[in-house]
Amino acid sequence: MNRLAAARRRAREAGAEEQGQIEGASPERATKNVARSSESTRVPEPDWLKSRRDAALELYRSMPLPSTRSEEWRYTDLARMLRLDDLVPSAGAQPGPASSNGDGTVPEPLRRAMAQDRDSAGRVIDIDGSAVSVELQDSLAAQGVVLSSLREAVRGGDPLLESLLATMAVPASDGKFAAMNAALWTDGVFLKIPRNVQLERPIRLSRWVSHPGTATFTRILIVAEDHSRVSFVDEILSPDFEAVTLVNTAVELFSHAGAQIQYVSLQRMGKGGFYLANQRTLAKRDSTLDTLNVALGGSVGRVDLNARLLGPGANSDMLGLYFGDHDQHFDFNTSQDHVAPNAHSDLLYKGALDDSARGVFRGVIRVHEGAQRTDAYQTNRNLLLSERAAATSLPNLEIEADDVRCSHGATVGQLDAESLFYLMSRGLDREQAERLVVLGFLGEVLDKLPMGGVVEKVTKAIEVKLGHVR
Amino acid sequence: MNDKAILSVTGLRARVAEEDLDILRGVDLNIRPGETHAIMGPNGSGKSTLAKVVAGHPAYQVTAGSVAFQGEDLLEMEPDERSQAGIFMAFQYPIAIPGVSIANFLRTALQARLGDDEELDLFDFQELLMERMELLDMDPSFAQRPINDGFSGGEKKRNEILQMSVLKPALALMDETDSGLDIDALKIVAHGVNTLREENPDMSVLLITHYQRILNHVIPDVVHVMYRGRIVESGGPEVAMELEARGYEEYRIAHAV
Ligand SMILES: Nc1ncnc2c1ncn2[C@@H]1O[C@H](COP(=O)(O)OP(=O)(O)OP(=O)(O)O)[C@@H](O)[C@H]1O
Ligand SMILES: [Mg+2]
Repeated sequence: MNRLAAARRRAREAGAEEQGQIEGASPERATKNVARSSESTRVPEPDWLKSRRDAALELYRSMPLPSTRSEEWRYTDLARMLRLDDLVPSAGAQPGPASSNGDGTVPEPLRRAMAQDRDSAGRVIDIDGSAVSVELQDSLAAQGVVLSSLREAVRGGDPLLESLLATMAVPASDGKFAAMNAALWTDGVFLKIPRNVQLERPIRLSRWVSHPGTATFTRILIVAEDHSRVSFVDEILSPDFEAVTLVNTAVELFSHAGAQIQYVSLQRMGKGGFYLANQRTLAKRDSTLDTLNVALGGSVGRVDLNARLLGPGANSDMLGLYFGDHDQHFDFNTSQDHVAPNAHSDLLYKGALDDSARGVFRGVIRVHEGAQRTDAYQTNRNLLLSERAAATSLPNLEIEADDVRCSHGATVGQLDAESLFYLMSRGLDREQAERLVVLGFLGEVLDKLPMGGVVEKVTKAIEVKLGHVR
Repeated sequence: MNDKAILSVTGLRARVAEEDLDILRGVDLNIRPGETHAIMGPNGSGKSTLAKVVAGHPAYQVTAGSVAFQGEDLLEMEPDERSQAGIFMAFQYPIAIPGVSIANFLRTALQARLGDDEELDLFDFQELLMERMELLDMDPSFAQRPINDGFSGGEKKRNEILQMSVLKPALALMDETDSGLDIDALKIVAHGVNTLREENPDMSVLLITHYQRILNHVIPDVVHVMYRGRIVESGGPEVAMELEARGYEEYRIAHAV
């Protein structure tokens, strides 16, 4: 227990240090830019939201950009990678040939990605931070399923929004980027599955960002009421960008008693994409809240995922799969918070890194006092395909209950010359051999991917990368 | 005399790249189509190194000599090119490849032999695979298991011969395939090898072993003794019988350094 207290104290000190350190360098201009424009394009919003945004903006301004001095950002040097000052907000309504807003067309790459999807129960298309189309099967709407753009949902006045949006799951106080999102989100998705309604097919969000140098703020709020079931696939694409282009996503997932949510993120942005996500899952009694993060695209990807097991019998499977090449940088910061007893969580993140790509995994299992009979696992495995690629893996346990089963493990391995020779001695060329080893390595996660086109997309994207064609 | 050989090794010296001592110190070996040769020799004498150099293992550097396969300079070829040319090595220590099923692997290997403009017929493949598994008395479910991952020692060896029987090489290098096989499995594997030889009478085999026993089932034309990186004696099957009785003591004396 002493160790924990010390760690907490260290964390506090690190935070304090940060505060003092960057105060003067806060990205005022971007804040003003973004704030001004979001005000001008925003439709009238209810007072609760206005004051929530204002408070968030204040928090955002008061918080420095996280520095590598803080434990959580040690390996992702924002000061070097992200110049908030240079970003302009993606207002979600910038007309232009690449955007669908003007003429209602969907950009070709997104259209192709959508064509690979099978079996959808509903779909939202989001272009530059603005939901331009929402479709839901009539039969589901008739059963009370609500799928809407976040802006529409706010306008519709569902009381769930006031109580859940940026409050319990990803509040502004979570950090600089959570605050940024809470202040500046332009749109997103609200999905509510009523009690006992079980969706057989997934709901999809298909996102596209068109403009280089922009910052896009999207929120996803999903509430699954008692004994309901839904699977949600959030896919984002973009072209390659010359300038750093930020996408900041907040994902808030609530599963009530006995409900099941599966959230899948497919990050396939182009070069220059800077993908930041704050995801939090709140699983109540006997519910299942599974997540899967697939990171293939963008120049930088940072996902903060916090799974909270709030009720006995709650269950969270947390899968991650990443494949980086060139100088891609992926950073996953995960936590499994076992608040209630008798809950189960199982995390498996696997990544392959080629060229000078960099992978960072930092994960913690926290078993809170009284969370007896917790079952929690955490595994991160990395496969390096080049001498210049690197992976950092920091698994951690903080356990304050005594009757628990927990384990964590991390490995970083090289593509093994003996394996390659074995395969090549059967007539496979080097590329085919690498492909088999990598797909075999990632197979443990690939095998668990949901149906409906996800596996095919991911496998294809990996193969393209292995072939070094873009 | 070499022109009829399928494999012709001349004055071959090789070492582990970056080390300064040769493991193979002048190996001469000629195998003609349809012949079966056995190589015996004490631990560490260089038997596996010879097989791996012929198969193209990147860890070894050839410092002198030549290796020709069907008249072509083998040393210029990548391991996959050697395989496609008709060489197969059954590993002494097969490698596990997690997540890659035997079926998927063999399908890819056969497809690679066809090239881009010809598609492997999956029905034919399935049929061949099942037939070969039956020949080697393997459960069909084995095809779906990841290569050598968690296999027993004997299962690994049998899996090597399964791959060999699917890929149908012109020259099979079998490195201690008999070690680790139980008595029944040894007979099954030997039967598998003999079946391949009957199917293709021109197939040649280089069989590395420590035990005379397998040579009762796969009868060699020539038996070589390898000692300290050289072939120091060659003869008929009787050489193996004598070794079984006498061991390597006499070579130790004759080749003491
Ligand atoms: N990759 C390597 N790295 C270092 N040393 C090696 C390597 N390969 C072979 N050697 C050395 O070369 C010698 C011959 O090894 P090799 O495996 O060819 O012997 P072998 O005749 O097959 O023995 P065994 O009967 O035990 O299988 C040994 O001393 C071995 O340690
Ligand atoms: Mg050996």
